[in-house]
Amino acid sequence: MAIQSERVARPLAIPDVSGGAEWLQEVLALARRWFIMLKREPLNLVFSIAQPALWLAFFGMGIGRAVDAAVVGTSDYLGFVLPGIIAFTVLGNGVASAMPLLFDKEDGYLDKLMAMPIARSSVIVSRFLYQTVLLVGQVALVLGVAFAMGVRLAAGPAGLLVLLVAVVLLTLAVTAAFLALAYAVPGHGTFFAVTGFVTLPLLFMSNAFIPFSAMPGWMAVCAYLNPLSYAIETMRILVLEGWRAHLLYNLGVLGVAAAALLAYGTHEFRKHTGARVD
Amino acid sequence: MPPVVEISALRRTFGSVTAVDSLDLAVERGEVFGLLGPNGAGKTTTIRVLATLLPPTSGSARVCGFDVTRQPNEVRRRIGYVMQQTFQSGRYLMTGREAVEIEAALYHVPRREVRARAAEVLEIVGLTQHADRLVMTYSGGMKKRLELAAGLLHHPDVLFLDEPSLGLDVQSRHAMWDHVRMLQGRGVTVLVATNYLDEADRICDRLAIIDHGRTVATGTPDALKRDVGGDALLASTRDAEHLVEVVRGEPWVRRVVPAGGEVHIYIDNASVAIPALMRLALERGVELERLSYTQPTLDDVFLLHTGRELREVV
Repeated sequence: MAIQSERVARPLAIPDVSGGAEWLQEVLALARRWFIMLKREPLNLVFSIAQPALWLAFFGMGIGRAVDAAVVGTSDYLGFVLPGIIAFTVLGNGVASAMPLLFDKEDGYLDKLMAMPIARSSVIVSRFLYQTVLLVGQVALVLGVAFAMGVRLAAGPAGLLVLLVAVVLLTLAVTAAFLALAYAVPGHGTFFAVTGFVTLPLLFMSNAFIPFSAMPGWMAVCAYLNPLSYAIETMRILVLEGWRAHLLYNLGVLGVAAAALLAYGTHEFRKHTGARVD
Repeated sequence: MPPVVEISALRRTFGSVTAVDSLDLAVERGEVFGLLGPNGAGKTTTIRVLATLLPPTSGSARVCGFDVTRQPNEVRRRIGYVMQQTFQSGRYLMTGREAVEIEAALYHVPRREVRARAAEVLEIVGLTQHADRLVMTYSGGMKKRLELAAGLLHHPDVLFLDEPSLGLDVQSRHAMWDHVRMLQGRGVTVLVATNYLDEADRICDRLAIIDHGRTVATGTPDALKRDVGGDALLASTRDAEHLVEVVRGEPWVRRVVPAGGEVHIYIDNASVAIPALMRLALERGVELERLSYTQPTLDDVFLLHTGRELREVV
């Protein structure tokens, strides 16, 4: 081969293999970066982990007393609102998750990474990995607090696993959406303007605090189009009702939404790095 | 042996802007090669093409025999790329050691060698003592050295340095130049983009002078300066046009170029030229404010090939 004979390189000081092991090394190295940052900002960790538990206490002890059990359809208001609070946490995580990648992009560090012999996907996957670990901590704490306040899962301990699946799927979907935004915007000003604008409407245009049955028609339409609703519905069935066939439908829709948003996020990432050779 | 870096008829446009316009270049193994030109000449664009970050609009670029567009990963494994800027976000809350260890892993240095490799490159740039401090607390020179260290982790064949001494104090600049020479001693080929004349003169074996995305001259600094011819008289006067008119055509003058309020007069023999110039100026009523005599510098080289002074453009 002509190309081979023209090589003027010395033997490589790094292995000339590619594949799973290399990819794993990249993802872990990049994830290490995120965990080091977290370690150096312990208050960030404390507030991130504690926030959902705080919300739960706030809703359960305060707002819950002002809620009509007939409207929410259950006397277990804490059990009703717990899924909404978890979904809200995921939403907040999504914004926080995209932020360092946005700064890497503006900083030029993303370019530096792109000039290294790494798979493009490891940049994004490392962030999902980090976010998922953080999420498990948050969910564990908020569930612990809920449990201490008397909430029980109708689906039993095995339901916890399904609940976690729903939360992870929602995390994939939401994080992918915010990553797409981070790569699509011209600068961080737009990113924060958009996230500031959409976060609360996304939450309120879902079944987080109001059941579908109690919504006006237009709101119900919005809520049905919102992936958050399907994660919330899954969790709510597990907490309040137990094992129902409808779980599959909700998880299915959530899975499709996550896949679509991941594809979109990947597209925006490719488009941004598209000026580069791939 | 084919060149380590080989660029032919490279062109790169951004919309209606042509950043690089028909550039040719060949960097041989083991040399320190400089891209000298003003800001906007296309130096960074050229380096970004070589670092596989920008596909060429047309033309080709090869590094270590690999095409940057078709075999980007082969190129990436063999290059160290020290960008112009240091990083805020990329080094946020990271110690120097952590930063290079993470990048060692990204270069797929075997897991059990990562620590040693990181320590090795930190030692090379003299940061061992400061390795466990947060990069945010480093001085500008230390940050730049850290980036150099990160570019050496995988023992690259070629190192691309984009304005390595931009914003550095004199001491740090000299330290950076020492590092470059030391790396050259280890067999690393270095491509430096710079707009500093003294930097190009001091560290480069060969240079390409770049202007408006084209190579206007290539050679060793000495050969380039020899092309300017003889020595140079630098005359300051309020009436530059008149002075040019007066001396042009005199037998002791090789070439006259007005630039930046001064007149560059290239001559063969200063002992003849200086008295002759003084006499002429007196006779023809040209008031000389200042007259200096120099060996040609790279500034003169740039002036010869572009009609402008580099220090003026920068």
